[in-house]
Amino acid sequence: MTELIRLTDVTKVYQGGITGALNGVSLAVEKGEFTAIMGPSGSGKSTMLNLVAGLDRPTSGTVVVGGTDLGKLGEAGSARFRRDHIGFVFQFFYLLPNLTALENVLIPAQLKGGAATGRGRELLEQLGIKDVADRYPARLSGGQQQRVAIARALINNPTLLLADEPTGALDTQSGEQVMELLGGLHGGGQTILLVTHDAKLATRHAARVISVMDGKIVDDARLESPERAPSEVIRVRGEEATR
Amino acid sequence: MRAVIVKSLADLRRRRLQAGVIFVTVLFAMAAGTTALTLTSQTRDPYQIAFDKQKGAHLQVAFNAATDQKLLGNTPALIGASSFGGPYPASNIQFRFGDRKYFVDAVGRDNAGGAVEVLSITSGRWPLSNDEIVLTRSFSELNKISVGDRLKVTSVAQTPSLTVVGEAVDIDEGSADLSSQRAWMLPAALPALSTPDSSFYLMDYRFPSDPTSAQLQASIDRLKSGLPPGSVTGSLNYLLIRSIFNITNQILTGVLVAFSVFALAATVAIVATLVTGIVISAYREIGIMRAVGFTPFQVVEVFALQIVIPALAACLIGVPAGTLASQPLLANSSHALGLAYTPTFSIGLDLLFFFGGLLVVAVAAIVPALRAGLLKPIVAITKASVPRGAGGRLLRRAAAYVRFPRPVVLGIGDAFARPLRAILTLVTVLLGVATVVVAVGLPRSFELINNSETGAGNYQVVVIRSNAYPDSEVMRLLKAQPETARVVSIGGQNVIVPGVADPVNTHLFRGDSSRLGYMVVAGRWYTAPGEVVAPAALIRDAHLKIGDSFTGTANGQPLQLRLVGETYDINNLGHSLFMDIATMASVKPAVEPFLYDITLRPSSDVSSYVRRVATAQPDLLDVRASDTSLIAPVKIIDLVLLILAGILAFIGVGGVFNMLLLNTRERVRDTATLKALGMSPRQLIVMVGASAGLLALVGGVVAMPLGLSLHHVLNDAISSSAGNDTPPAAYGVFAAWELIVIPLGGVVVAVAAALIPGRWAARTNVVEVLHAE
Repeated sequence: MTELIRLTDVTKVYQGGITGALNGVSLAVEKGEFTAIMGPSGSGKSTMLNLVAGLDRPTSGTVVVGGTDLGKLGEAGSARFRRDHIGFVFQFFYLLPNLTALENVLIPAQLKGGAATGRGRELLEQLGIKDVADRYPARLSGGQQQRVAIARALINNPTLLLADEPTGALDTQSGEQVMELLGGLHGGGQTILLVTHDAKLATRHAARVISVMDGKIVDDARLESPERAPSEVIRVRGEEATR
Repeated sequence: MRAVIVKSLADLRRRRLQAGVIFVTVLFAMAAGTTALTLTSQTRDPYQIAFDKQKGAHLQVAFNAATDQKLLGNTPALIGASSFGGPYPASNIQFRFGDRKYFVDAVGRDNAGGAVEVLSITSGRWPLSNDEIVLTRSFSELNKISVGDRLKVTSVAQTPSLTVVGEAVDIDEGSADLSSQRAWMLPAALPALSTPDSSFYLMDYRFPSDPTSAQLQASIDRLKSGLPPGSVTGSLNYLLIRSIFNITNQILTGVLVAFSVFALAATVAIVATLVTGIVISAYREIGIMRAVGFTPFQVVEVFALQIVIPALAACLIGVPAGTLASQPLLANSSHALGLAYTPTFSIGLDLLFFFGGLLVVAVAAIVPALRAGLLKPIVAITKASVPRGAGGRLLRRAAAYVRFPRPVVLGIGDAFARPLRAILTLVTVLLGVATVVVAVGLPRSFELINNSETGAGNYQVVVIRSNAYPDSEVMRLLKAQPETARVVSIGGQNVIVPGVADPVNTHLFRGDSSRLGYMVVAGRWYTAPGEVVAPAALIRDAHLKIGDSFTGTANGQPLQLRLVGETYDINNLGHSLFMDIATMASVKPAVEPFLYDITLRPSSDVSSYVRRVATAQPDLLDVRASDTSLIAPVKIIDLVLLILAGILAFIGVGGVFNMLLLNTRERVRDTATLKALGMSPRQLIVMVGASAGLLALVGGVVAMPLGLSLHHVLNDAISSSAGNDTPPAAYGVFAAWELIVIPLGGVVVAVAAALIPGRWAARTNVVEVLHAE
């Protein structure tokens, strides 16, 4: 398989070291993988995702995605990179409130200079929300909003789909549906990097689970391999006691 | 209360830039308003004080030199005057100083005092011998003549010299740049300087109380009927002189009042926009405030104080600044009236405006802040901001339809996403652009009118002859010059017009006067003897309409006249008549031209022409290039307009900037999201700029008709104060392309103003913003 993401000895220090950080993280993710990054609040998992998206820059080390060293890109270059290669799904959806569902979906394509209305409608249909295309976000349920956000993330056929706690703001049933969707996308060959603090969700859908604690990778489990069962990963996360 | 103040001050520190916008806009509005108010309240006072102090004449009448002095001595009783001065012998004389020649009415008086028209000697002394003269200070300053200078009288063959021994302020005549001037000599000096057709007697009358215009006219009528026909040759009343003194300040006051109302309205719009925006973006904060115990009223107080504090600071500086700004204009009035300048203002009015302005700003802040106070805590705390709906959707769709790039489409939609905010912002843009339209248009209208009054482009040289040099000789000399293309000769003769109190100055033309450039407001220029053209004030006072015939009287002899047109002429505030000199053919003694407007052939050298003709008769001819420069009051008005336009344009830009700032801050999460989705910094700046550009375009397009209407109204007001109707040409001073370029200029400025919030948007830290959510 082809390597898509490589983090080499990445350190990220916020505000002079006062707040959350990554401490010498190295990691490689291959194309087509469904990788989950798990960890408690402040562990550095979202920081890792932001670095991979080119939204933030490492204090030291390198972040290479699809052969592009993101540290060497300027603001405009980073924007172009995200537009061309990244799809981003946020916990709180972040749909633009004054645009309809379809208009939200089309935004990344339009920023790129294309129209893609047909593909936008097609995606909404695939995600089961074609009926809400002309509705504004305020009139959509949380699950529907997240599906719109996923459609938006997919509109430019991204090389990499990043999902930051995509079920965090949803009820259990909607969360499951969203994860099913992501699983389906992965089945179609989409590389997905998922950040979640929910170990069960991660182990149920991801093939690889990376556990982060205090800015360091403390575990990296490939669940397809016979030596690591999901239950073992959950133990590493220390959630067994709460079950 | 302490908590309210602490929270308000903390918010103020956080919103320093917005506080700065409020401070500057309120400062400008208050300063302009106070200047207008001070001028309005204080302008009448200096004239009235000087008029009382110098025992100004309510009525001054010029009598034919042949009138029996004994009869003149009876005239005060005839019209019920309580005191009088004269009869003073007077003569119109011409003198030369340097290479220029001047006309003044020399009046013979023994001293500067008396029961009426006390002259205030501001430098030098009263004449002690027949070769000494006192000039008005206004005339001396305008023409740079000083005490001790020697003047050569050229209106009599002997050409005697006079020494200027003093300067005086005369309350009974206008300033030198707007009116003809008097000079004073000993009575015994007059005969040697007089010719039969230049002599007259002057009488000053003062009544027990200030008479009305109708009472003044009745007095003139009694004088005319009580004396032999033709005795009354001219008159001047205090109402006209007061208007001449006050005209600049009156126009300025009108302009300042109009624009200070504009500035205050724009400030109110900005304050309301700002508070609305702050309330919207601080929803969660409001919920927290309520949760920790702020009452609804205290929440309102917190938001209102954030505006009132910078507004208070602006009022504290703006009101004194406005009062100070009005002082040079008031000092100028005092100077012209010979009064010692003392700072003039009304503390009561200043305080009233101070608190009034502050109240207006406070109300503008409190009304939108009430929304914050009335918000239910749980609703506020669970929502980060007011949800936005479909605002701007139609515009976005239209923009998308014409295939604008997506950032432009988004920006256009954002401009009207909050309709109230957009409308309030439009108000500031509208007022700014409208003011610019007026500031561009009015000086052009002034210039156009000035050109018509000064013949700019129509004649290049003006010659004035001395009585000692015959008209026929002047014409022979002028026609002998190869560059002379056309000569229009002008004479003057006062005519009594039924219904008009004072005898009316006439412009009697010989030659093609229609080519001198006078503007015809209505009807047509005269084409035959007997036809006359007049400005609006005369037509109104004489109750005439175009086409009417009436009988005038010149030198006691009747003249059949027919009004064929209305023209623009500010002399004597619109009281003059224009006609062919042949109309006066029957009047004895015959009227002869004394002034010659000369049009030169193309490419002629004006200076060499002037030099050559002047050299031919250095004492008896005043030859000069036509002076087409603007008079001082017009320059002052132009300057004030320019400053006001700058202020209002600044407030307009401030309004757009303020709205963009609010939009950018309120939409910081959306901006972060767009950046996360791949919007580049340039695209973000374009998006913000598109919002600003659209608002400025809409504001500008709406502002053009408003500005043009305001230009129209102000033109009318200014023309009316000078006794005229506005000539149609003075309205149409804008080229079609300018009507497009002015709003587009507004768009360029607004887009430039959008660069700052646009760059902020572009620099949004996605991680921090989204993390904070």
